[in-house]
Amino acid sequence: MKKICVIAQKEFAGYFHSWLGVLIGTLFFILTGVFFMILVLSYTKVSMNPQQFGLASLSGVNQTQFVFGSFFTNCSILVLFLVPLLTMRSFAEERRQETLELLFTYPLSDFEIVAGKYAGLLGFFALLVLPLFGYLAVFRWIGGEFDWGPVLSGFLGFWLLGLAYLAAGAFVSSLTRSPVVSALGSLSVLLLFWVFDWVENISDGPWAHIFAALSPLKHYRDFSVGILDVQNVVYFVFFFLYFLFLTLASIETRNWKH
Amino acid sequence: MVKETNPSNVVRFEHVSKKYGSFRALDDVSLEIDEGEIVGFLGPNGAGKTTAMRILAGFFAPSGGKVWIRGIDLSKEPQKAKKSLGYLPEAVKLYPDMRVSEFLHYVAKLKDVPPAGRRAHVQEKMVLCGLTDVGHRLIGRLSKGYRQRVGIAQALIGDPHVLILDEPTSGLDPKQIADIRGLIRTLGKDRAVILSTHILPEVSMVCSRVVMINQGKVLASGTVKELESCLKDRREISVRVKGKDHRQAAIKLLQGLPGIEALRMKEEPGEEMRFVFETTQDEDLRARITQLFVQQNIPLVEIQRVELTLEDIFLHLLHEGRFAWKGPS
Repeated sequence: MKKICVIAQKEFAGYFHSWLGVLIGTLFFILTGVFFMILVLSYTKVSMNPQQFGLASLSGVNQTQFVFGSFFTNCSILVLFLVPLLTMRSFAEERRQETLELLFTYPLSDFEIVAGKYAGLLGFFALLVLPLFGYLAVFRWIGGEFDWGPVLSGFLGFWLLGLAYLAAGAFVSSLTRSPVVSALGSLSVLLLFWVFDWVENISDGPWAHIFAALSPLKHYRDFSVGILDVQNVVYFVFFFLYFLFLTLASIETRNWKH
Repeated sequence: MVKETNPSNVVRFEHVSKKYGSFRALDDVSLEIDEGEIVGFLGPNGAGKTTAMRILAGFFAPSGGKVWIRGIDLSKEPQKAKKSLGYLPEAVKLYPDMRVSEFLHYVAKLKDVPPAGRRAHVQEKMVLCGLTDVGHRLIGRLSKGYRQRVGIAQALIGDPHVLILDEPTSGLDPKQIADIRGLIRTLGKDRAVILSTHILPEVSMVCSRVVMINQGKVLASGTVKELESCLKDRREISVRVKGKDHRQAAIKLLQGLPGIEALRMKEEPGEEMRFVFETTQDEDLRARITQLFVQQNIPLVEIQRVELTLEDIFLHLLHEGRFAWKGPS
């Protein structure tokens, strides 16, 4: 456990050593800020003249849903592109520098290495997510009102989505020695999962439902509208553990006795 | 089951083999290494040196056979066994974004160096490897020689009983090579050091024992002296004669002597002929040959016994694939 923390700490600090983390963080905050501002402004516009937007009155429009529901949807697309950049170095870079070889010869278990890396990634992601709560304060300050329920479930959903994406990205990173290949590979995998979500729109067969059920976005949508379903939580936890297991298996292939 | 292991054997390879698909990188290697030995793995590129070292370092498991480190089975208790190991991979780049002392502290934490003495421990290794001046610098900005020293320092953290160095001097300048060799000799006093190299003189300079590896097999193992002496009973003598006219006479004379084999002749510049042959006899034929040449009026300008170097042994082994000598009993 102690060594997991040591590796996690080093991974976390590594994002600031190379400016990669600072760059990703800046990009993330600028874009989320833009999303938030646009949503607040458009809500103001709608609330001034609801009829113009096809609404009988403002009573049917939920402030929380209008601003934060859409905000989390936008963020989910944003992480789709940011996660591959976050995970591209985690294993690929270590393979390239041959430092993974060193880690394997230290008194560490493979699980400690993988868990440490994952913990470092989650730590950095937490650093990205936590300041988003600041938007709530800003929203209050400009006179908005929101329900805590859907907002908190939205944050939980966003956190779980990030967790799942990071796990998949780290797995792809463990397959290659090139961070660029890792980033492009993770992006393709995540885009593929995104596309799964659309299958239901085109077709209605049993396969369409299976694909849709596999898509993280379908499970994520419930969170952003304030529905807390255990099934969805289980889905994300399982998604995370599945890729953690695959990563572990991928670095254990070096021991295969073929 | 209690396994019988010699306590002084710090490292034991038991019929270790490693296959990559159908390629056999290591083929039934058995080996024992004691404390205080500096063992050099010698072999051409692709001989299996790195594979052997990676298995020993616990990087990957062998396809067959067992490795014991201080009586601990590496495959059964890898974490316990790895505490006795320090490993420097070949051409390791380390973390370019980390500072030297920061990296060594990170390694110390991973290698279970207790927090109380950690700072002093890291400092001691930095002094030993001559890194005190660059402790605050980024590893990526260091020269190759310094980076190699950082690599050795990280291997030394945790005071391992077995030090595995894969080509520790490759790519360094002569001064750095001399420094690293000196360091290795110091380190080898109270632990087992295993290093690989394809530089032959390095082995005779640094190592107390040589293990020659080719195509995944151990060809020979012994001290440099043992390996050299076993080739010496196959003495080689070189005779140089002035004037080409004496060729026939010289050949006739040499062939007439008992115990002369593999006679070769070469024309050399300055109207000189050189004859090289092996003698199987224990007695030194040089005096007798000189006397006979003088009697026959053949102008002998030079006669010498050819000293066989490690290089000769090595090349001989590579060509023949085997060696008459069986190793120390």
